[in-house]
Amino acid sequence: MATILDTAASAGVFNTLLAAVDAAGLRSALEGPGPFTVFAPVDEAFAALPPGTVQTLVDNPPQLARILKYHVLAGLHQRADLIQQPQWDSLEGAPIPIRRADPFEIKNASVVTADVLCDNGVVHVIDRVILPG
Amino acid sequence: MTATIASERTKAPLIPPSTHRYADVIHRLEAGGSMLPDTPENLRQIIGIYKAYAVPMDFYWRDLLYIAERVFLNPLPAFKYFISQQYLDRPNSYAGEQSQLRIWRGTEKAHPELLEFMERGESGRMPKLLHHLWHDRVNMEFAEACMQAMFWHQGMGGRFNDYLVGDAYRANADRAIKAYFKGNPLMLGLYALFPEMFLEQVRQLSYYANLGLFWEVMAPVFFEMSDIYDEGGFKGVPDAMDFLVNGIFAVAGRPIYHHLYIGEECYEIIPKSEGFTWLYEAALPYVEAVFYRTSPFRGTKSYNAQAGQVPADQADFHYGILYADVYPVGSAGIPPTLLMQDMLHFLPPYLREIYQQHRRGEEDELVQLGITFQRSMYNVTSAVIQALRCALLYPLDDTDPEHLMANRRFFEAQMDRFLRPEARLSDIQTQDYR
Repeated sequence: MATILDTAASAGVFNTLLAAVDAAGLRSALEGPGPFTVFAPVDEAFAALPPGTVQTLVDNPPQLARILKYHVLAGLHQRADLIQQPQWDSLEGAPIPIRRADPFEIKNASVVTADVLCDNGVVHVIDRVILPG
Repeated sequence: MTATIASERTKAPLIPPSTHRYADVIHRLEAGGSMLPDTPENLRQIIGIYKAYAVPMDFYWRDLLYIAERVFLNPLPAFKYFISQQYLDRPNSYAGEQSQLRIWRGTEKAHPELLEFMERGESGRMPKLLHHLWHDRVNMEFAEACMQAMFWHQGMGGRFNDYLVGDAYRANADRAIKAYFKGNPLMLGLYALFPEMFLEQVRQLSYYANLGLFWEVMAPVFFEMSDIYDEGGFKGVPDAMDFLVNGIFAVAGRPIYHHLYIGEECYEIIPKSEGFTWLYEAALPYVEAVFYRTSPFRGTKSYNAQAGQVPADQADFHYGILYADVYPVGSAGIPPTLLMQDMLHFLPPYLREIYQQHRRGEEDELVQLGITFQRSMYNVTSAVIQALRCALLYPLDDTDPEHLMANRRFFEAQMDRFLRPEARLSDIQTQDYR
């Protein structure tokens, strides 16, 4: 198996996310042993944000890191585990609600592909960037 | 989320109609509209007042940052409104050639109309001190009233306030206070005796910085909207709202921080590295504190807190512009009156024409522009509601009825805040409320 970031890189649909992880200085943390649960928005999710949104965040790494940390949980949680609780605390601090089990939805995003297992955690592919609040 | 909500507007309804008292407004929001009806006059009024608001706001944000970063704990801040040339020339981060995200096509320095007014005022050219004493100037007291509303209400989302009571902030503020009063044994002695008092003043100054950084964005947003309208760019009120929604997203990640400068040395009281953002730590608390809550001075009525006329719960406060009985008086309603007076100086000619044609014309221009301002802030609040819906819920053209019902519940919860009789949402639905 590969790490979370290696898996994302080979998938080819997380280019913006990976660039954001680098800009926010989170690469080394996400390459650690973890384990982590990462809700990974695809490139189209970032592209759907209004113009300027991503650029402002990339220009400000601490603020970008905060948004990215909202997409990560500590520990390895697969779908079957996640749907047992109404919400999970993200590394950002704010909770991520589990809105539906089938189809699987977290916050206002649909999980396109769940349970992609990696060396240091699990990735759930989502179709929208989720924001705290 | 989409680049603009214009593309999401729904066609055939997939869920039953709302039965809320403001069902019409809710259906309009669900169709991508604003709480303010889409009429040419509403568009004209709100854009005109945005421009008139942006000019004094160009002073407010500069002076708020000047006070937070330079005046700081000056025990006799008699000249805190006498902004330095450095801050008057301070490049706006969202205007001018140098800006990384250029929102307004105009200059990064203070707006020319502002500079002209600061020079001449209403009473003509005279020394700055006389303008100040004669109160012929930009009324910073209004900006400070907004800051105090944010400072006093606190706890309105975001993490700013939690940080202000934490150990890291205390240590940073202590370092800044000691550096600021270095060589001043009297003030350092007072600080040793009453540390909490000094700390509380620094917390207030952090809110000066917060609001200054918030308004630094809003001034160019409003200037640009005025320019777009002058070019014939907005087709209706929803277009103007969409512009605000996109603007909110574009700058959402802007850092909110508080730096103190002593000479050239910078003391980071709230570092940018804390990750505080424009949206969560400034914009949302601002809207809650200033548009909804503020403090119980409506201007036409006195309240007796002991008789239970003022809510015990701060979250129930409802004295903001969305509930205001717009009436400029020089007593209880001083802060809003001061803003009206500030905006009066910068009204575009087309707005003056509207006011001349209605009610008592020039005689009650302040009331009419106050109500225009109220309409315009219902539109800004609509943009915030739509932005939150975009960020936290679902597209308006979503085809899943459960998602649409989640949007519906969100819109209805927002409208519940206008069920109380003081709310002006019903009034702004018609054009004869002036």
